[in-house]
Amino acid sequence: MNASGKSTDGDMPDFSDVESGASSTAKETASAFKMYTIKSGDSLSKIAKREYGNANDWRKIFEANQDTIKNPDKIFPGQEIKIPL
Amino acid sequence: MKIMTQISVAAFAAALVFSLTACKKKEETAAAPAPAPAAAPAAPDVINVPVSVKQITLSNKIDETTKQAAMAMDSFAANDTIYAVVDTIGSGKTAIKVQWTYHKGEKTAQVNETVQEIEATGPASTEFHISKPSGWPVGDYQVEVFVNGTSASVQKFAVK
Repeated sequence: MNASGKSTDGDMPDFSDVESGASSTAKETASAFKMYTIKSGDSLSKIAKREYGNANDWRKIFEANQDTIKNPDKIFPGQEIKIPL
Repeated sequence: MKIMTQISVAAFAAALVFSLTACKKKEETAAAPAPAPAAAPAAPDVINVPVSVKQITLSNKIDETTKQAAMAMDSFAANDTIYAVVDTIGSGKTAIKVQWTYHKGEKTAQVNETVQEIEATGPASTEFHISKPSGWPVGDYQVEVFVNGTSASVQKFAVK
């Protein structure tokens, strides 16, 4: 299994279409985010298109991951990133 | 002899005065107000401590304002939105992570992992929810809550 919700085991269900969210009665210091593991062929634009329906929202993902992604064109399979919800 | 008598009377009088004074002092001491009763033990401090999980409640419906579950559930339908309400105590900046997993025999699949960062100033309720437009596969699931990266609580549930 991986953090994207996609099972690596053939007889396990696919959870890649799961939608999630969070909110609190306490002050939220940042938007909630879900964790995603980069797969081969992924780009921030593709992820943004899949998650938000708009490839131009790649910057939103990039900005949430500036501690680990220095160049938006350089992401690697297996790399775990935050996807703002 | 007369002088001796006078001395004795004077000594007796002095002793009497001393005794009376001592008695009065004793009475004063006895009459002193009783000390105030010890303060009742303080209620457990739920504010000035690091955030910790008090309880997790699963439900398919919550109050959007209070984040409280309509009712605690451990079994859901395939088209339910599943909520995990995490009640915490304590204060400070905290990352609460909820990890949802599906279990089939010895195998585990990750369903979702969501993080909400909060700055708590006392008891708080944080809700996490998941939904699956194509429907939840029937089976056994688990939700695990982490506070600042440390596992704090686990709860199992099923989709039937």
